[in-house]
Amino acid sequence: MQDRPNASELAQAVLEFLQNEIAPQIQDARLKFRMLVASNGLGILARELAQGEALLQKEWLRLSALLQTSQAKPSGLAELRAEVLKLNRTLTARIRADRAPPDTYEAVKDLARDKLRIASPRYLERYRP
Amino acid sequence: MQAEVEQALARLFHAPMQVARMQLLPGGASKEAWLVDAAGADGQKELLLRRAGGGVIYVDTLSLAAEHQVLQAAFAAGVKVPRTYGYIADLAGREAFVMQRVAGESIGRRIVQRPELAAARGRLPLQMAEQLAKIHATPRARLPALPYHGDPGLTAIERMIGRLEEGLDASDEPHPALELGVAWLRRQAPAVAACADTVLVHGDFRIGNLMVDAQGLVAVLDWEFAHLGDPVEDLAWPLVRAWRFGVDHLRLGGIGEVEPYLDHYNRLTGRNITAAQLFYWEVAGNIRWAIGSLTQARRHLSGQERSVELAVLGRLACEMEYEVLSLIEREAYARPA
Repeated sequence: MQDRPNASELAQAVLEFLQNEIAPQIQDARLKFRMLVASNGLGILARELAQGEALLQKEWLRLSALLQTSQAKPSGLAELRAEVLKLNRTLTARIRADRAPPDTYEAVKDLARDKLRIASPRYLERYRP
Repeated sequence: MQAEVEQALARLFHAPMQVARMQLLPGGASKEAWLVDAAGADGQKELLLRRAGGGVIYVDTLSLAAEHQVLQAAFAAGVKVPRTYGYIADLAGREAFVMQRVAGESIGRRIVQRPELAAARGRLPLQMAEQLAKIHATPRARLPALPYHGDPGLTAIERMIGRLEEGLDASDEPHPALELGVAWLRRQAPAVAACADTVLVHGDFRIGNLMVDAQGLVAVLDWEFAHLGDPVEDLAWPLVRAWRFGVDHLRLGGIGEVEPYLDHYNRLTGRNITAAQLFYWEVAGNIRWAIGSLTQARRHLSGQERSVELAVLGRLACEMEYEVLSLIEREAYARPA
């Protein structure tokens, strides 16, 4: 086992260094913008390292229930990831064929919210229809 | 390259030209943009030189030869576009064209937020409608051969849905939210009137591609996605949430309301495009930009154009997914049977 800081904390530390110490030094507007984008990328990484696995578990449960599959939950993270990908492919094909299960909309919206929690939490907070 | 540019300019302006300043602007890898100041017999000219890039080509973008012709046709039709000074088939080995460099602000976030552009924002909705009316009235006979973005035998809506499905398949990742959006488009299609006219469509008409100064709209830029299609496509594209640059409550590009813009367009063109048609194409536009973001990220992942901006853009497609789901939720047809 690695010592702390853990992966998420380490990504966060690099992010804070870039934001607080490097960004203010940049004069060029274009480079400043790219710096902001890069920090944003590190923020996504930090959040995914912290919450990604739990959200993946939740997604597996939600999609398995929606598609009424009766497989046992995969034990390893790689297997879980592969299984969630497969469930998403099945759901996508069913929507395309106009055979989406009932409650698809609610499940997909809920999962879209979870994607935003990692990728763009501020968008989710600020969102007004 | 300066010597080649001077030679080409001398041919275009029929007089010796001396380059005083020449600078490659940051941005696209597929096409270069050079700022060029050149002095000739009748004074200094502020020019923008567009030149093909080194082999990286976006699908569905026009060649510089075609883009140059479209700009000429739009200029002749009274559209506010930079004046073009001529096409160069071979500038140090690549095609290029020269146009007037227009002054103003084109960065979306600044246009929607800067206090000194408040008066301009007030004028933009009607000015945008007016420019679209003129673009869509550009005589077809003056245009080069332009793509239809699909089979011309299909309706514009069928072509658009087909392209979105192709785009989703090409991303090679499942996106249930976007699939629900496309399913909604398919289901609603019979109820949505297609515009009977096939016109010159700008293809990327939005805040961020418009040059703006304190008086309002100065020029319509970025014509490389021009094609033939349904005018509603252009009309709805600036409504897409990503093009509101954070001022989300103003549905028209973060700068204004939709109704006066749509009314003005209808008055100028005699068309009767409805809010429902606009909404339908707004949903389509959000799906299109979600797919666009995924595609951009793949340019990075494939090594075609390594860029942290493109990489992060792939993760932001879920913003558009959420918007698509929220938009279709407002309609009775949101839930698949």
